[in-house]
Amino acid sequence: MSTASEETTTNHSDLPPVADGIFAVSAEDPNRFELVGGHCQRCDDYSFPRSMHCCHCRAETDEHSLGSDGNIYSLAVVRIKPPLGLPRPYAVAYIDLEAVPLRVFCLLDPVQCEDAVIGAGVRLSVGPLGVNNAGQDCLRPFFKLIAENEDN
Amino acid sequence: MVKIIGASVTSFGPRPDQSITSMAIEAGLSAMRDANADYADVGAGFFSNALGAKLFGDMTIGQNVFAELGLNRIPVVNTENACTSGSTAFYLAQLCIAAGQSDLALVIGSEKMCVPQMGLIDSGANELETLLGMVTPAGFAMRAQRHMHEYGTTPEQMAAVTVKSRQHAALNPLAQFRKPETLSMVLDSPMIADPLTRSQCCPIADGAAALLLASDDYAAGLDRTVRLDAAVLSSGSYENGADIGRWETDSRTAALAYEQAGIGPEELDLVECHDAFTIAEIVHYEGLGLCGPGEGGALVESGATSLGGRIPVNVSGGLLSRGHPVAATGIAQIAELVLQLRQEAGSRQVENCRTGLAHCMGGDRKGDTKSCTVVVLSR
Repeated sequence: MSTASEETTTNHSDLPPVADGIFAVSAEDPNRFELVGGHCQRCDDYSFPRSMHCCHCRAETDEHSLGSDGNIYSLAVVRIKPPLGLPRPYAVAYIDLEAVPLRVFCLLDPVQCEDAVIGAGVRLSVGPLGVNNAGQDCLRPFFKLIAENEDN
Repeated sequence: MVKIIGASVTSFGPRPDQSITSMAIEAGLSAMRDANADYADVGAGFFSNALGAKLFGDMTIGQNVFAELGLNRIPVVNTENACTSGSTAFYLAQLCIAAGQSDLALVIGSEKMCVPQMGLIDSGANELETLLGMVTPAGFAMRAQRHMHEYGTTPEQMAAVTVKSRQHAALNPLAQFRKPETLSMVLDSPMIADPLTRSQCCPIADGAAALLLASDDYAAGLDRTVRLDAAVLSSGSYENGADIGRWETDSRTAALAYEQAGIGPEELDLVECHDAFTIAEIVHYEGLGLCGPGEGGALVESGATSLGGRIPVNVSGGLLSRGHPVAATGIAQIAELVLQLRQEAGSRQVENCRTGLAHCMGGDRKGDTKSCTVVVLSR
């Protein structure tokens, strides 16, 4: 079980992601991660996780970067015995992404549970956090609060 | 026109000596006795169970139940639709009667949850939201946080839902939690997912419920019948940018039901709604049109939704206090309306009630529900 999480693009690369194709190292900044979802070129509609077909026109979607940053739309700190080896407490949120018009569900950094509030700016990170359905340690995406003095 | 001529609910709560099947049979026998109906006239069976496959490896339980009731050879349908499993079985049964396929259809829902292997309810082990930590209390806690942020809804208003619920359940001998709780007791109970404390989350339970539906012709001449005015089953919108401070699926489904019934929310005398969490009841008030957007907290605080108030909600005790054996819940809600509309609800009777609404929803997907049912009954 992982109770702490650290941003990394190099460490823990031997661990499997909790699901395939949902995040990637940023092409623009190798020190950042970005969410990966779907995009329908015809409808200009985004999805996360990627819907293979657009729900409006049923065309096949393209894999598309959804960026790294966003703002917390709503959040919950979960204090009961957690599932999947997640730490106690842990926090989840809906995040409004900055790069694309999409609201996604994701984990927040569990060490920042008590500091996160609606409207706060967050940036994607990836690290060992809990286990997968097979009980193996795995990498999960989670959003960290952006410090006020943190530049872009 | 479809009528309900028999209704039954077992006690809800831990029932360690009972199985899904034994509770289902108990409820089915009782509903048939309630209607004093002939088993030979039952032309179809609809059975709901949501968790038997996951918890016990059981499947197609309905045929086992109906066979034990001597109802073999007839069409039997098993439904799983999360918390609306029972009301979905009811929805299919009324379609069967309305289509003229049978004069009588028996609906039974049964669930057994109070076992060690029962964990947190999620929306499917392999869904990404589940893998990223979505558990049902978290989904409703995020809804509560947003409602508080946008409308100023308070923890005390949410806790008032539980206080009311326990007061109602004290009058229901079949309910799971019948002891009164004060606002401070509710707020001081252990935090589950901020701001929802344990007393604001419905308990797991074992239990079953059953309804016997009849065609108009069959029911002619029977007394104690209740008329079905509307039955709607819908699924979520799953639109990008889910607006969790309001619940479009609630209002959309309710609007269809009001249209079918030819009434508006102001004509309702009582409501049973899906109060899995306190914030859920507040949001459902708004979605069902019992008050305006953002006014749900004030509505419960005013006493309007208490027994004796303008529009009593969940006089059975609701999910929060009657208990929530998932696949029995949607049927138990309708059974409560039947009892009330017959004026047979004893000390929790809503005076002079003629029209009631039952609302149920189940499953999570993209900030919306997977399934929503609204039923309107009258007498």
